[in-house]
Amino acid sequence: MSTASDHTNLSRPVKWSWLFTMAWRDSRRNRSRLFLFISSIVLGIAALVAIYSFGYNLRADIDSQAATLVGADLVISGNRAPDKQIQPLLDSLGDSRSQERNFASMVYFTKSNDTRLVQIKALQGEYPYYGSIETTPLQASTDFRKGKYALVDAALMQQYKASINDSLKIGKLTFKIAGILNQAPGQTGLAAGVAPVVYIPMQYLDSTGLLGNGSRISYNYYYKFNGKTDVDKLADGLDDRLDKNSLHYETIQTRKDNTGRAFSDLNRFLSLVGFIALLLGCIGVASATQIYVREKVASIAILRCLGVKASEAFLIFLIQIAGIGLIGSVIGAFLGAAVQLVLPVVFKDFLPFEITTTISWVAVGQGIILGIIVSVLFALLPLISIRNISPLNTLRSAFENATTQRDPFRWLVYLLILGFVVGFSYLQLQSWQASAAFTAALFVAFLLLTLTALLLMRVIKLVMKASWSYLVRQGFANLYRPNNQTVILMVSIGLSTAFICLLIFIQALLIKQVTLSTSGNQPNMILFDIQTDQEKGVLNITKSFKMPVLQQVPIISIKLESVNGKTAASLPKDSTADKMRRAYGYEYRVTYRNFLTSSEKISEGKWIGEAKEGEDVPVSVDERLARRLKLKLNDKLVFNVQGTPMNTYVASFRKVNWNKVQTNFQVVFPNGALEQAPQTHVLLTHVPSSGVSAKYQQAVVKGYPNISIVDLGLVLTILDQILDKISYVIKFMSGFSIATGIIVLIASVRISKYQRIKESVLLRTLGGSRKQILVITALEYLFLGALSALTGIVIAIAGSWLLAKYSFEIPFQVSYAPAGILFGLTVALTITIGLLNSRGVLNRPPLEVLRSDT
Amino acid sequence: MQLLKIKTFLLAGFMSLVACQNANNTQTESSAGQTAAKDSTSKPTKTVLFFGDSLTAGYGLDDPATDAYPSVIQKKITQEGFPYKVVNAGNSGETSAGGRSRIDWVLKQKVDVFVLELGANDGLRGIPVATTASNLQSIIDKVKAKYPNAKLIMAGMQIPPSMGVSYAKQFRDMFPKLAVKNDMLLIPFLLEGVGGNAKLNQADGIHPTAEGAKIVAGNVWSILKGVL
Repeated sequence: MSTASDHTNLSRPVKWSWLFTMAWRDSRRNRSRLFLFISSIVLGIAALVAIYSFGYNLRADIDSQAATLVGADLVISGNRAPDKQIQPLLDSLGDSRSQERNFASMVYFTKSNDTRLVQIKALQGEYPYYGSIETTPLQASTDFRKGKYALVDAALMQQYKASINDSLKIGKLTFKIAGILNQAPGQTGLAAGVAPVVYIPMQYLDSTGLLGNGSRISYNYYYKFNGKTDVDKLADGLDDRLDKNSLHYETIQTRKDNTGRAFSDLNRFLSLVGFIALLLGCIGVASATQIYVREKVASIAILRCLGVKASEAFLIFLIQIAGIGLIGSVIGAFLGAAVQLVLPVVFKDFLPFEITTTISWVAVGQGIILGIIVSVLFALLPLISIRNISPLNTLRSAFENATTQRDPFRWLVYLLILGFVVGFSYLQLQSWQASAAFTAALFVAFLLLTLTALLLMRVIKLVMKASWSYLVRQGFANLYRPNNQTVILMVSIGLSTAFICLLIFIQALLIKQVTLSTSGNQPNMILFDIQTDQEKGVLNITKSFKMPVLQQVPIISIKLESVNGKTAASLPKDSTADKMRRAYGYEYRVTYRNFLTSSEKISEGKWIGEAKEGEDVPVSVDERLARRLKLKLNDKLVFNVQGTPMNTYVASFRKVNWNKVQTNFQVVFPNGALEQAPQTHVLLTHVPSSGVSAKYQQAVVKGYPNISIVDLGLVLTILDQILDKISYVIKFMSGFSIATGIIVLIASVRISKYQRIKESVLLRTLGGSRKQILVITALEYLFLGALSALTGIVIAIAGSWLLAKYSFEIPFQVSYAPAGILFGLTVALTITIGLLNSRGVLNRPPLEVLRSDT
Repeated sequence: MQLLKIKTFLLAGFMSLVACQNANNTQTESSAGQTAAKDSTSKPTKTVLFFGDSLTAGYGLDDPATDAYPSVIQKKITQEGFPYKVVNAGNSGETSAGGRSRIDWVLKQKVDVFVLELGANDGLRGIPVATTASNLQSIIDKVKAKYPNAKLIMAGMQIPPSMGVSYAKQFRDMFPKLAVKNDMLLIPFLLEGVGGNAKLNQADGIHPTAEGAKIVAGNVWSILKGVL
């Protein structure tokens, strides 16, 4: 070690090799303690890496699923034949190309002698490149391309009692039905369901004679790109040229954006989980580091006595911590990767779909770097105070806090930690705004927990009475006496509970959203052009099929004649009034009812459901329309109801959620005004299967041939599968994160093992019974566990409310039962681990414990 | 929205009214000019009612009140000095069945000339021609019952050959048959010279632009002016 002469030479140069040796030597002192410390880092980082890798893999899985919605990387479509100047482009894009002509036509079922409107899709090439056209028999989806064969929609087959090998006349040609079409990628919009689909090979299209002058054909070009072409960027660059030729494009990304919120919800959720994983990792590592360094104070004081400079002591332990952090993170990272690889294999039978298990090196790298940074950063806080440990500390009780609170370096460290959290959450969330918000929320949570802890200490100190039993006093006193662990455990237990609880809440909210949008609860059949005198009949048919009437609305087409006495004629003739002119020219489709639907909310004014005879009719206007027309409450609107003027006034504005699959209206009339006006009715229902769909359509069309039926069953199946997977991924990821969260929680309580051991031994030596020590410990942990779990849950409720409202924009609801269970579980876990921590002391004679290295 | 989308689609998808090579039997009646009194002060006392779908309503036009073909006709009537007022009873997306339900409401006003322009949406939805024909017949019957002296004009319509040749033919033939049966004047094909011409149609390829509507108005005028 140092020589006597060194002792006085305080400006000696730093000997790095010696520092490293010291760091190593010190670590040998107590390997069991070191192991506990490392294990906490390992678990924290393992949790992070496993969650990250699952996140990356599942995201990739869902993305490849999304590709099956479109079936190709890029689709270019238009409704007229492309002209010569754009044709070379269409013929040169991508690595594989397919094309499709698409149009409505009446086909003739030879056997049943029926004619029916279908949507012909004439296909050429290998399309779809992702997913498949699913047929019965299976090989029909490829075989039909080779000859005069057709694939026919399942419900259509049943409706006309057609079977495979029957013939179908399309235009002048007769095709043989090669297979039943069960599912196909491509359009998922409602447009796709207007007529049932029949696939034919494109090479026969010309000879059907359907392509004559005036025919209305859609042209679709499908492209697949090998390698890593940025298709979205490419397509965006082509947009102007395509637009000039009345063509438009679609990529997997644009489809995802248009498919609804499930994809973006999933993305946000995975980001959230990633962020939480990061914090779980931090808690695991940080709480371990904090406690570890605190315990080193005594040895540092001794070193200082022997002449080690403050800066040298600082460096010795910094090196040690960095080393431990590195080892722990590497082990943790590989443990996490292993869990991610093994878990899906082990649970293969329980998983509804295959999870890709590839090691995500990004996740592993992130885990290791994160582990080192976090351990060093969080070690810095107590290490800074090392510089102020005077040699005298050896002689006095080492428990006194040596820190001078106004150490400027402290603030630097806080700043570093803050910067680190913002930076790493940016990596997860890819948005500075979001990561700032998350960091702020985290800071508030941290502050809240710390304040609760300080408050608890203060209150307990104040209310503590000498009259209480010794055990109770001792247990409570542990919470505020020197060397207490209240703040650190409150923060780590509280934050872990908060994250777990947050995941539970958000998961429940999202799953509810996703299940709502799966077709089981959504209309998949729409009947329209139902005339008023046919309404009852259609209802009866629907009921006789035991199908639900999800919505049934009258629709009336009206025009706006004047607003506050101003008509279109009073508008200035220049282009400034174009918007208003259009508002007058537009045919408004309105409805009347005396209730609001679940997708609308009154934002201003009062909803009135009944019109009064002889008075102006109170109507409710959609907010967006109101803004466009610059309407105010009580404005007088005169509508032209098919030639009859109707005086109305704006009674309320409605906020309408246009994203829901249901009928929504810009203007809603109350009952008692439009009942006599000419109207048609729309009915939304849900058919359970293609078989029922076929019979139902037959029954309706037989009675009311004018009614048009849109069957979205085929279109929705693919979407349903994806939604199912998304909801599964959300459940899986939250379940897994919750499990790892609990492990991290256990680890962070577990590292407090050595905090209480000396006291327990002393108590034992002084004659304390096992039971007494148990009660004291249990009381301390009970209080810690209960209060931090409660605070954590409160934080989670606030956090999930904020997330639901601002990030996911979904209705918020607290699920109390799981929160209650989580509370009980956290308290029980905290007490159990606390008791387990002192088990060593209790089961062995005090002397043995005293002698062994504590 | 979803529903509106459907509606819009149906308009777009079903309203494809496209020209075929059609023998151009313009039945130009040359009795007009004479009655055209140049008295601009004479107030319109009689009504021409256009009962139809989006083509009549002027779907998608910036200002249907001036650009839809009935509005163009109104201008011509005013110019020529006929004492007629045009009423546009077009309703986008309407089928013959919808028209049958709506006609009573529309007939509350007195009608002197009744132009029937419906059926296109039926054709594009593949509704059996017999059904459409019987709906149109009911409409005609109701007009005749209420205003026996009204003059009736039938606007002929065609659907694209991609709908299938035999169906398209049945559909096309329905209008002259009904016209003959009910002693109506016939506009052989409303969209003559417009359908199928990309420049005269809106981006959806099926609804005429303001320019196209002028040609449509010309097709109508050649028949209409004879009865005014």
